[in-house]
Amino acid sequence: MSSSTGSRTLAFLETPRRDSDKLPIEERVVSWREIYTRSEPAAVAAQAGRCLDCGNPFCEWKCPVHNYIPNWLKLIEEGKLFEAAELSHRTNSLPEICGRICPQDRLCEGACTLNGELGAVTIGSIEKYITDEALKAGWRPDMSHVKPTGQQVAIVGAGPAGLACADVLVRNGVTPVVFDRQPRIGGLLTFGIPPFKLEKEVVERRHELLKEMGVRFVLDTEVGRDLPLKKLLDEYPAVFLGMGAYGAVRGQFPGEDLPEVYQALPYLIANINRQLGLEKNPRDFIDLAGKRVVVLGGGDTGMDCNRTAIRQGAASVTCTYRRDEEHMPGSKRDYLSSREEGVEFEFNTQPIEIVGDGKVEGVKVLETRAVSGPAARRGRVMTETVPGTERIIPADAVVVAFGFRANPPQWFTEHGIEVQPDGRVRVSRSKERPFATTHGRVFAGGDMVRGADLVVTAVFEGREAARGILNHLRQPVS
Amino acid sequence: MSSSNAAGLYDPSYERDSCGFGLIASLDDQPSHWLVRTAIVSLNRLTHRGAIAADGKTGDGCGLLLKKPTEFLTAVAAQAGIALTPRFAAGCLFLDPHEPQAAHAREELARQLAREELEVAGWRSVPVNEQACGAEALKTLPRIEQVFVNCRMDVDEATLNRKLFLARRRAEKALEGSDTKFYVASLSASTLVYKSMVMPQHLAEFYPDLSDERLTASVAVFHQRFSTNTLPQWRLAHPYRYLAHNGEINTIAGNRSWAVARGPILRSPLLPDLTEIMPLVSLSGSDSQTLDNMLEVLLMGGLDVLQAMRMLIPPAWQTVDAIDPDLRAFYEYYAAHMEPWDGPAGVVLTDGRYAACTLDRNGLRPARFCVTRNRHLTVASEAGVWDYAPEDVVRKGRLGPGEMLALDLSTGQLLESRDIDALLKSRHPYKTWLKRNVRYLESDLIDPRLAAEPMDGDTLALYQKMFHITAEERDEIIRVLAEDESEAVGSMGDDTPMPVLSEKVRSLYDYFRQQFAQVTNPPIDPLRESLVMSQQTQIGPECNIFMPVPEHARHIVINSPVLSQRKLRQLVGKELGLAHEFIDLQYGGGESLREALLRICRQAEAAVRAGKLILLLSDRYLVQGKVPAHALLATGAVHHHLVRAGLRCRCNLVIETGTARDAHHFACLIGCGATAVYPYMAYQTLFDMMSRGRMKLDAPTRLEFGRSYRRGIRKGLFKIISKMGIATIASYRSAQLFEIVGLADEVVSLCFPGMVSRIQGAGFEDLEADLRELAARAWDPGQPLEQGGLLKYVHDGEYHMYNPDVVLTLQSAVMTGDYQRYQEYARLVNERPVSCLRDLLALDSDARPIDIAEVEPIEEILKRFDGAGMSLGALSPEAHEALAIALNRLGGRSNSGEGGEDPARYGNERNSKIKQIASGRFGVTPEYLINAEVLQIKIAQGAKPGEGGQLPGHKVNEMIARLRFARPGVGLISPPPHHDIYSIEDLAQLIFDLKQINPGALVSVKLVAEPGVGTVAAGVAKAYADLITISGYDGGTGASPLSSIKYAGTPWELGLAETHQTLRANDLRHRVRLQTDGGLKTGLDVIKAALIGAESFGFGTAPIVALGCKYLRICHLNNCATGVATQNKVLRSQHFIGKPEMVMNYFRFVARECRELMASLGVRRMEELIGRTDYLRILTGGTAKQSKLDLRPILSAAGLSAGAAQFCLDERNAPFDKGELAERMLEDLRGAIEKRSGGTFSYTVANFNRSIGARLSGEIARRWGNYGMADTPIEVHLRGTAGQSFGVWNAGGLHLHLEGDANDYVGKGMAGGKIVIHPPRGSTFVARDTVIIGNTCLYGATGGELYAAGQAGERFAVRNSGAVAVVEGAGDHCCEYMTGGMVCVLGRTGLNFGAGFTGGFAYVLDLERDFVDRYNHELIDIHRIASEGMETHLQHLRGLIERHVSETGSVWGEQILNDFRSFMGKFWLVKPKAAAIDELIESLRRAA
Repeated sequence: MSSSTGSRTLAFLETPRRDSDKLPIEERVVSWREIYTRSEPAAVAAQAGRCLDCGNPFCEWKCPVHNYIPNWLKLIEEGKLFEAAELSHRTNSLPEICGRICPQDRLCEGACTLNGELGAVTIGSIEKYITDEALKAGWRPDMSHVKPTGQQVAIVGAGPAGLACADVLVRNGVTPVVFDRQPRIGGLLTFGIPPFKLEKEVVERRHELLKEMGVRFVLDTEVGRDLPLKKLLDEYPAVFLGMGAYGAVRGQFPGEDLPEVYQALPYLIANINRQLGLEKNPRDFIDLAGKRVVVLGGGDTGMDCNRTAIRQGAASVTCTYRRDEEHMPGSKRDYLSSREEGVEFEFNTQPIEIVGDGKVEGVKVLETRAVSGPAARRGRVMTETVPGTERIIPADAVVVAFGFRANPPQWFTEHGIEVQPDGRVRVSRSKERPFATTHGRVFAGGDMVRGADLVVTAVFEGREAARGILNHLRQPVS
Repeated sequence: MSSSNAAGLYDPSYERDSCGFGLIASLDDQPSHWLVRTAIVSLNRLTHRGAIAADGKTGDGCGLLLKKPTEFLTAVAAQAGIALTPRFAAGCLFLDPHEPQAAHAREELARQLAREELEVAGWRSVPVNEQACGAEALKTLPRIEQVFVNCRMDVDEATLNRKLFLARRRAEKALEGSDTKFYVASLSASTLVYKSMVMPQHLAEFYPDLSDERLTASVAVFHQRFSTNTLPQWRLAHPYRYLAHNGEINTIAGNRSWAVARGPILRSPLLPDLTEIMPLVSLSGSDSQTLDNMLEVLLMGGLDVLQAMRMLIPPAWQTVDAIDPDLRAFYEYYAAHMEPWDGPAGVVLTDGRYAACTLDRNGLRPARFCVTRNRHLTVASEAGVWDYAPEDVVRKGRLGPGEMLALDLSTGQLLESRDIDALLKSRHPYKTWLKRNVRYLESDLIDPRLAAEPMDGDTLALYQKMFHITAEERDEIIRVLAEDESEAVGSMGDDTPMPVLSEKVRSLYDYFRQQFAQVTNPPIDPLRESLVMSQQTQIGPECNIFMPVPEHARHIVINSPVLSQRKLRQLVGKELGLAHEFIDLQYGGGESLREALLRICRQAEAAVRAGKLILLLSDRYLVQGKVPAHALLATGAVHHHLVRAGLRCRCNLVIETGTARDAHHFACLIGCGATAVYPYMAYQTLFDMMSRGRMKLDAPTRLEFGRSYRRGIRKGLFKIISKMGIATIASYRSAQLFEIVGLADEVVSLCFPGMVSRIQGAGFEDLEADLRELAARAWDPGQPLEQGGLLKYVHDGEYHMYNPDVVLTLQSAVMTGDYQRYQEYARLVNERPVSCLRDLLALDSDARPIDIAEVEPIEEILKRFDGAGMSLGALSPEAHEALAIALNRLGGRSNSGEGGEDPARYGNERNSKIKQIASGRFGVTPEYLINAEVLQIKIAQGAKPGEGGQLPGHKVNEMIARLRFARPGVGLISPPPHHDIYSIEDLAQLIFDLKQINPGALVSVKLVAEPGVGTVAAGVAKAYADLITISGYDGGTGASPLSSIKYAGTPWELGLAETHQTLRANDLRHRVRLQTDGGLKTGLDVIKAALIGAESFGFGTAPIVALGCKYLRICHLNNCATGVATQNKVLRSQHFIGKPEMVMNYFRFVARECRELMASLGVRRMEELIGRTDYLRILTGGTAKQSKLDLRPILSAAGLSAGAAQFCLDERNAPFDKGELAERMLEDLRGAIEKRSGGTFSYTVANFNRSIGARLSGEIARRWGNYGMADTPIEVHLRGTAGQSFGVWNAGGLHLHLEGDANDYVGKGMAGGKIVIHPPRGSTFVARDTVIIGNTCLYGATGGELYAAGQAGERFAVRNSGAVAVVEGAGDHCCEYMTGGMVCVLGRTGLNFGAGFTGGFAYVLDLERDFVDRYNHELIDIHRIASEGMETHLQHLRGLIERHVSETGSVWGEQILNDFRSFMGKFWLVKPKAAAIDELIESLRRAA
């Protein structure tokens, strides 16, 4: 809004949008490295300078954590890297991670006024750039003002929700103790998302950072199995649950139990375990090299499976999706990368059976078409199958990526933690105690509350829950 | 004025007036009845400057102030059996018609006179003829009597007058309250008043005395009034006891406040005890009356008229470099003790010794004078007020800005300004006094340390949080001030809740809305007319003006009230030896905010009593556990406390506060009494940003951020005070020119008594809660600086009514045409958090619904929808036309906005039915005006009322330039005022002009809500407008300083309710249609507006959003990515998605929602809703502050019966003046126009024949366009003095030749044709020394030629964009804002020539060789034309003069031609710096 900044007001016209460079495709498909390369400061500043600084920052409004996007874009344009990093962390605990894996085209960049022919500002890559470069240059979160309260809070699950909650708590003088069943932090950030989207050094760097800030981690420890919740409740005034949603959604059609039919998550986890050298048993690895692979489902997880299979050396990868290209739920960017890397897509295609005699031979599918109805008016396209369009896509292996649902453990009930009929944890939405469960001292957030969703929404809920916890610590409710 | 009653918003104290005035005086002090008669004739010929009540007979008042007609009085006293002594006085009194009360008043006055050893000789009932009165006037007709007072011979006349004054004041005070009728029109040994509530033509009829041949006088001051109200008040007729005034005292609020404060220090040996007669001036009612009171006190105290008037209404002296040092010293000496009473003011007066006329520094009221051979001086608003023969005129002239003309009746000397000044400056050695006593605190050129003790990071954060500085304010406001030396600019409107409605902590300053001038007084252009502006501030005690002694000059003078650290140090340091008291604003420990303020007041009082000169109110040293009382609360409370204690003038309030950062903050503090302010948090914040490398450092001077910041604030302060028409900070100080929206009476009465506050709101408790919340955050180091969200939407920040959800939902609704989507949008809006006052008003749920089929169809509702004025410069042509098409198809009306319209759009569906006339007059041609159903005069704009605008050069492309008659790439300025509307009777004139040119159109006047807008609207209705629009503060803009968007104007709910109530109370509602606009979004908004009193609705932003605008607030940058608000070709052609259908969908949806709501209310037609506030229910707010609001005044029927009209019933509001001559001329010429045959015609004119030519130009343009008749011109020859607006909007083919002279606005808006004016044959005066045309001629002209053999008044060719003109001299501000055309001045010009001059060129003959001091150097340069390579110009100039001579027969022109070689070296060619010399003639040729 200011007239003073001297930035070129037509920069968005004169400078085209330019995404970060990607590695050449031939290099990408044989490597597990991230495909986007580092950008030069001048180029980043020029891209940041394309921001219109709208009176209505639609980017910020659409962003689930409401990042102060125009403001840190401006700081980057001015070359104020550390201030940008500080501001970026005001609203987001894991900005460098969100910058890498958020579906920006559906969120900030999709809402950007320039989106469309003018080309949205490259918000995601700039967000990544800020923290990456600031940390490289020695920036660390400013903890000098923090006065320890002496209080500790237990956090169950070192995924995005738990880490975000820990981040806010530790910045307010409360020591979070984070428990996770895995040997590494990150939850799905580490074990679900393939390294070509998020290199694990990034998560590890965040781990170090959080430790420096005063967060304590207890890994390889599963609450409910190795450590009962009761013990946490006895030792800590409040507990945050951020355990994710790991229940696979099944296709509910014949053939799903064939041996070469894999659920997406076990497939991805197995692959990462191998990459990280965490494999407990080499037989856990699922190797699709040389196989004709069909991936069912057009979401982000589907794309991850597609591209993992490509990198494993699959003979072919075909991805089926029920609606058309335009209505794919996942990140457009990952979809395009998948195509570039050689994935075939079958749109308007619904699997009805996995055929094969003792082993997968193919996927029987029907064509679908859109139907209008009240839901369609709300932007959701409903489909129906077209009779008589049956055909079989040949396959040696099938990966089912239909999504995940909450899988609450049994012991919730004994502690009075109520869940919805679909298994999601019930939480308070009050201003004072957001994300409190029906147990007065237990809070929850992330996928286990929302159902499978984006990392950034989990971050938001973790942060909001931390506010609830801080209020609770100030004014405990018995 | 704070009131909590439910009596509504109409308050008679808002009444404004203006008028025509004049005086006639015998140079030899020879009384005659002829003079009295001529004064009445003259008055009658100013009837068009007054107003008339509904009865057609009652005027707003007129009257005469005569030098005492001794013989007549002696004679009538004798007739009445009254025995007079040789020394006697007489008075004119208005008494209660009931005898007992009248008798009581007589006794009281006699008693008081007796105390002065004066004896009432008797009372004479003044004969009156009630037949002459209208019904309205009769209702309040008082008993009118003359009192005769005898006096001993050893008492001189001056002493007698003083005794009369004291007796009268005491009598007034004694009767105050018990007798509201009692009024002393005059009581003097020197003068006598006759005044009444009749129209001038009936004055002599009403007072038979005036026709009595025995009534003779040597001076008559006369006045005809135009009041904004219709409720007649006899006492408010002019003249007052000494003066009659045309215009308005803009500074009246501050003047009154200081008159009260100053009372205790005024002492004169002549008036030993003033306490008995305090207050010295009336604190309410008419500003002129107060000025009259003040003048009286000064005269009674021993000053003469000359000194008193020059002190009260000084010329601009601070910034005029060439002023004589002794004279400057005179003004500076008195400036320390009296702030200017600035106008617009033209004052005529007499005390019996002098007959005088004064204009204020801006010279915005016309005053023409002439001396005739019968040895009489006539001064009047217009030339030609009585029929002197041309050959009898000895001399004619006009008063310029800051000038005074006085006739000393004792010597017969006619004193002009320079004579008067020479007299005054030599009375005392003022210069020596100042030299010995005044210290000037100059800022050092380099003041490198913004903050000598920079705060460390933690402290800075603490202070920033405590004083609620957000990152947004830091980056967008404070930083910009220092980097750009001016305020940040933004666009769109303010869509956040008023602070009292907000759920967030908001700054206390946000509760204060700046007042601004509209209609009854003009704002000033502080940039282009900076010569009248000053922020000079004195620190020191005020002293008694009656005692001129050197010690009284002991002052510190600073050039600005915004202090640097260095200046503050000097003020409170030892070096200057000024005693100061540090007053900590913090409190705590169980003390409440209110108690703390009272304690601070006591501390202040004690300090002043102990002799402290400076009170330093400070929140600089924060202590944990305490909170700082807001500096504004403390300033107001202390100021008023000290005024009450009689101590205010003995000290200065210096405020050291973290709360002051932007210009509005300073304006609030100074407006509430601060002498100077030290904004340490602005400096600390800037220092921090500088040290962190966040400031632009592109030039070495930029390092001076503190100074740059102060310059930014200085400009902002000038903008704020000039918005109110105030020129000096001294007159603004403590004037309290704000409306408070949302503070409780307890706060107002302690801290801001007298400030307008109408709906209650936050109390001390709430303000304290806010403070504590801020303190809690501030002292918690874990809490970061808040991001902000007041300017732009920020998640979790302030609510924005056009937030992304609202914008996107609306767009999806209009694009799909899906009503359910619209309903979703309407829900988002109608159920939003309380953001507007109307959100606290619900529709009455008890009404009985009807079937929707019974409700009138949406077509009927759509007719009531108008587009708000948005110019083609702001919007892209695609967006502008889409709006027009949509509204035309729907049966509504779109608005051209300012900036003309492409003739290709006339007559088809792209035509805008409403054509706007704004202050820039861009593209306002006869043809433009003819192609309209409604002509809208934009007085003010919601987003920036009282301010001008600027279309930056980069937005002026070929098309815009063509429509605006300008050159591409050259910036265009819209001045803050309309230069033809400085007062209400000027507006009446402009309305008359418009009705003359296009009699078929309705004339609309757009106002912005502020206290008193209802009264202004009443005046506008009396000025014969057909439509009035009341805009809310939240209207949009294409570009405006952010602080204007945020801080000026009030919600339309208040303005509309006040207007509706006022119009009804004044029986005017049936004469005008009332429209409201400002943030209307849904059908519910429309229904609520109708219930509050509107019958028509304006929409600006919402239809633009429907066209794809995403509320980006970047309109001012010309880079609108949606292609709506840009002229960029790529963005317009490739990124604009709007279609007329989207706008049509939007309006249909709104109308459909209206129908549904009407059905639910059981109402069939919109008319049944208008003004039905009983259908509204007040909701209790959700927050503590909201629940304390009292919205009853909005819903009040103000005691009027439902029977009074609720909406317009009259087809048209036809002017009283039927323009008979114009109609006759049209009859005569109609054939010549229709046949395009040309011809020659002759008429005689007089000053009451106004807008002559317009009626013809309109008819010409209707048939032949602007230029179609140019080849077959009609020659019209006229003789006499033409009334105002001669040749207004002249069309090609109309040639007006006038032998005589003309008044203001000659050739205004001229598009073609020719106007020639020359002195009458037989004149004896020297034409080139004589004024022949008045002020503001050729304003906004786009073409044509004007030749005038004589001088022009002020602002000749202002905003000229095409006319060619030759005159023989001109007043100040000649060629201001000129963008094209050519002006040749064959003589001296006034000051400030060519301010804001961006196009065209001029020749000026500079015989005195001082033009270089008289032109404005900002945008133009000057060249000799006698030099090599200028032959073309030389030829051109010579040709022009030849033309001038052949048209006018100018003697002077001939003289120049005869000796051209001698003269040519004395001519200057004046041109914009940006233009090349060679292009000039070429461009002129193209234009022609």
